[in-house]
Amino acid sequence: MTMGTATRSGGVRSLWAGNPQAVVQRGLVAARSSSWVVVLSGFFEPVFYLASMGLGLGVLIGDVQTSGGIEVPYAAFIAPALLAVSAMNGAIYDSTWNVFFKLHYGRLYEGMLATSLGPLDVALGEILYALLRGALYATGFMVVMQLLGLNLAWTALLALPAVLLIAFGFASVGMAVTSYMKTFQHMDWINFVLLPMFLFSATLYPITIYPEWVQGVIMAFPLWHGVELVRGLTTGYLSAAMLWHILYFVVMIAAGLVFTTKRLRALFLD
Amino acid sequence: MPQPAAVQSPTLDELRAEALEWGRKPRARGSWYVTEHMVRAMRAYGWTIIVGAFGQPVLYLLGLAVGLAAIIDVPVVDGGQEVPYLVFVAPALLMTSAIAVASEEFTYPVMAGFKWRRYFYGFNASPLSSGQIANGVVLGAAARMAVTVVLYFGFIVLFFAWLQPDAIRPATAWISVVIGLVAGLSFGIPLMAYAASIEDDKGQFALVQRFIFMPMFLFSGTFYPLATLPLWLQSIGWISPLWHATELGRIVTYGKEAAPGMIAVHVGYLLLLTLGGLIVARRLFERRLAK
Repeated sequence: MTMGTATRSGGVRSLWAGNPQAVVQRGLVAARSSSWVVVLSGFFEPVFYLASMGLGLGVLIGDVQTSGGIEVPYAAFIAPALLAVSAMNGAIYDSTWNVFFKLHYGRLYEGMLATSLGPLDVALGEILYALLRGALYATGFMVVMQLLGLNLAWTALLALPAVLLIAFGFASVGMAVTSYMKTFQHMDWINFVLLPMFLFSATLYPITIYPEWVQGVIMAFPLWHGVELVRGLTTGYLSAAMLWHILYFVVMIAAGLVFTTKRLRALFLD
Repeated sequence: MPQPAAVQSPTLDELRAEALEWGRKPRARGSWYVTEHMVRAMRAYGWTIIVGAFGQPVLYLLGLAVGLAAIIDVPVVDGGQEVPYLVFVAPALLMTSAIAVASEEFTYPVMAGFKWRRYFYGFNASPLSSGQIANGVVLGAAARMAVTVVLYFGFIVLFFAWLQPDAIRPATAWISVVIGLVAGLSFGIPLMAYAASIEDDKGQFALVQRFIFMPMFLFSGTFYPLATLPLWLQSIGWISPLWHATELGRIVTYGKEAAPGMIAVHVGYLLLLTLGGLIVARRLFERRLAK
């Protein structure tokens, strides 16, 4: 490279062109030719869960006490958890399956990195695109919650940015992990991590039923922080502990981004 | 070009006889050859199968069933009979595990055989018939399902021996393994027929997962008796093979009361889906491979 182009060697310059929006734009254009039904279908999963568990189990269970100590109807207890879970699933789905395909079959990133875009642009762009979808689903689900009277306080409005924060955290780590995957079947391992998180993270019942040490393990995982954060907001119980939940995701996002960028560089540029 | 005089070229009849001779064995055992291929291909993800088959029952039973059981103090009333919550859920989770395997094995591998890796066309170029290829896919998936269901059942037996020793009836409970297998096939084979009919992958399987598997799992009386739901949602259960299989599973596991007529309906429905699906699937395989 000699004439007029900015030489990008070493340091941050080779990683970042400040143009992740190009990747987002590409995602939006590509979405036009994909099936919108598939895209839309992601919205229904938490709704089905809410309908099934809320209607059926709600009859058996009645009211449940949240970690904030207030009694809420069972549906109002699980709805925010399902919101957090769907943020996790959506982010992971987008940042693993989609990215895996683009990495190994579409060879999309090689093309992108051959332009002025750096690995951080690509990583951030993909994640931002995933967040757009996540925001869409979350908004839809929040509307359903509102209609069913499951948003118990005005702070529920803040659940939307909280959900995006959660999705951002999972997406950035998910993408880093995906860069190690070699075959489609390796992706099953992701489910082995997600499933127990979904089942144990105070989603469908309070974690107080577990012995102390199990609770400690659960609290180490991100989903629990997400569930607690969103539930606090939709039920209107705010506490200083929520700042820890937020911090957890901020750290997760930062670590995930650094890791993903390094991996993309190792895969394509070094 | 004249043949060298020394070499006696075989007659057409001899050639035909030779070809038929070589084709006889594959023709007779073709389904099993395909099964072997499918099972060997699974070795690529053998560990995920084993871990999944072990891990899922542990997770679901501990996470969902034990956790929920802790906040549902009263026993579930199922068909007029009181059942501890865990005992109620266990058969349903077993059936779900088989159907989950089916939704994996009867979709993408079928699509791969026709479109992506095209190995069905390879099989078809040999003496194997289209029907045998379809059979082989079914048997291969059934083998994996058997592993899953047997492990699941074994875990349930151990689990209850520890928690609730008298909860299940060992004399009949083992039949739920067979029911699980049939449940998986009754959902999987029609799905295979659908997969065989798909020319372009536009995310249809994701839609099946979301709009068929998921609602089926959630609205088939898995976590609470179907009668708890409003009538219009119960109808999802009635057409879902999972509900019919779960009911049968409950009958054999803890002796849920059931009229013989209802048992016939459950069994009949599962067999209808399985056999009807197989007929359609074989026809679709034949048509597509002949193209």
